Amino acid sequence: MLTELITQYNEALIDTDRDRALQVVHDAVARGVSPEAIVFEVVLPAMDRMITCMTVSGDASIAQHFITAQISNTVTNEMLTRFAVPSETRGRIVIGNSFGDLHALGKRIVIGCLRARMIEVVDLGLNVTAEQFVEGALEHGSPIIAISSMMVHTARGPNGCLGVRRILQERGLEDRIKVIVGGAPYRFDHTLWQTVKADAWADNAMAGARMVEDMLLGVPR
Amino acid sequence: MTTSMDRLAAAIHGTPCDRIPVFCNLIDQGAIEMGMKPQEYFSRGDCVAEAQLRMLAKYGHDNVWTLFYVGKEAELMGCDKIKFALDGPPNVENFVIRSWEDIPGLRVPDDIESHPSFAEGARCTAILRREVGGKVPICAYVTATMTLPAILMGMDRWMELLFLGPPELTAMLLEKCHELFVKEIRAYRRAGADVLVYSNPFGSTDMVPMNFFLERSLPWIERDIAAVGTAGIVYYCGMASMNRVISRVLERTGIGVYYLSPLDDITRGRELIAGRALTCGVINDIELIDWSPEQIEHEVERMIAAGKPGGKFLFGTGVMPAAIPEPSIRAMMNAALRFGRHEVTAS
Ligand code: B12
Repeated sequence: MLTELITQYNEALIDTDRDRALQVVHDAVARGVSPEAIVFEVVLPAMDRMITCMTVSGDASIAQHFITAQISNTVTNEMLTRFAVPSETRGRIVIGNSFGDLHALGKRIVIGCLRARMIEVVDLGLNVTAEQFVEGALEHGSPIIAISSMMVHTARGPNGCLGVRRILQERGLEDRIKVIVGGAPYRFDHTLWQTVKADAWADNAMAGARMVEDMLLGVPR
Repeated sequence: MTTSMDRLAAAIHGTPCDRIPVFCNLIDQGAIEMGMKPQEYFSRGDCVAEAQLRMLAKYGHDNVWTLFYVGKEAELMGCDKIKFALDGPPNVENFVIRSWEDIPGLRVPDDIESHPSFAEGARCTAILRREVGGKVPICAYVTATMTLPAILMGMDRWMELLFLGPPELTAMLLEKCHELFVKEIRAYRRAGADVLVYSNPFGSTDMVPMNFFLERSLPWIERDIAAVGTAGIVYYCGMASMNRVISRVLERTGIGVYYLSPLDDITRGRELIAGRALTCGVINDIELIDWSPEQIEHEVERMIAAGKPGGKFLFGTGVMPAAIPEPSIRAMMNAALRFGRHEVTAS
């Protein structure tokens, strides 16, 4: 039964059909599939499957990331309220677009993927200064700062990741707070994350969310 | 003397010439070149034209641009706030469409040529026409119908509407965008642009799934092109890849020039095009920022070796980031001019 459910759900994601994906999930719950199984055996593996799709065949578009992130987030949220034993959050992080950057899509997809993985996310918004990133992380007790940038100057500029690094260094916070970056320029230059002194990067939001989870759980990468 | 225009024509027709054409798209460098603040620079078509001519003399590439920034198209539709930066391109700051309810009221100006936002572009084009017209291809940039909503409402809101919203509203918005598209192409042609870069990330399977491309994007591409004809049109996915869609676009529209992404394999692109159109191989100008002169030369050589044999090839850049050091632009140009030479030279 689960195999069929997984197939139907994955097909709906590939077709960017939100209504069908939600229908498939609701029908399954009605048939008695547990909310835990939906999250851990259907929703999260589907996101991982999309990572494989992307790395193996380059075969998942931004639209599919976007819809998958939205659906995964919605379903996880809904299922969490019905878990037999309340699930604990896996940690909290802050995210924002770097200074000068107003492009929200990448960040929104990443947020969806993180929440689907039961990670709390504080959205610092667009056009966030380096100061605000660090302040945000301290205020919300976040061990990770995630920075999205769609342009070269907002990725490389002194007020972006480099600025965050400088402040973390000056304030001796580097052991406590790690920085992960992503967005279009990083996909064109796979060494750019090192140039801007980030601790990690990911090529897409699904992989990014999994990496954040590993970082939070202290799994060595 | 062979002109840049001759080179482009020879590359399109596959006839002999001294070398392949080299397009170097220097947009964000203009204000720096003129020593001006971006906001002031972009408000003056004469300055934009002057910068294009100065950089042309400096680097010796084969094209000039009338593009200020893509957000200009949003200004035509009523956008009243652009965010300027000293070290990068301007961006739309206020979206014209803030909620779905704004769509029915959205108006395409009757006469875009008299719109202040277009007028400076026309002024720039006229100067370029006067100075290098007929000798150097003058390029204009126009966003495709399917992609234009991204700068009117933001990419995330557009994806939401397109994939999850009411189809009637999407259709209404696209009709308006198509109307603007057609007006823009006609206006740029009248102003004297030779090359019309048709920018359509939604016509790449990096952005939308193949099924969606076939059912939704491709019909709009056909409609756009049927309305304006293929003269001077260049298919471009905003640096998203296009090898997976080239054959279909070519067969269904007859567009004669394909401006690949650095993410596309040039050899594969040429195979797909198979002599039916001009292939433009595009350097990864984001990596270029940090490459050494040797790396640049090596990469240009590799790209041209993959694209030049058999003709109908152009070497190009993306929208060169302002962070690329001048010596690196020169190193790229030198290599492209050298490796781009043909054995047979025109008399
Ligand atoms: C679609 C597109 C457009 C559209 C829509 C733009 C918009 N959003 O407003 C149009 C055609 C209008 C356009 C215009 C412009 N564009 Co454009 N555009 C693109 C394109 C093709 C895709 C960008 C996009 O929206 N992707 C969708 C997002 C979600 O993808 P993403 O950012 O890669 O995010 C994914 C991952 O990177 C990751 N991720 C994202 N953030 C994070 C964060 C973390 C922490 C992690 C782990 C992961 C992660 O997850 C996401 C999903 O998996 C790219 C090229 C490309 N192939 O990427 C160029 C690109 C972004 N554009 C570029 C530029 C320059 C522009 C302009 C500024 C040009 C100009 N001079 O006017 C304008 C700006 C318009 C404006 N806003 O005013 C450049 C930027 C590089 C640079 N030179 O600085 C690019 C890279 C093209 C290039 N190679 O030159 N563009």
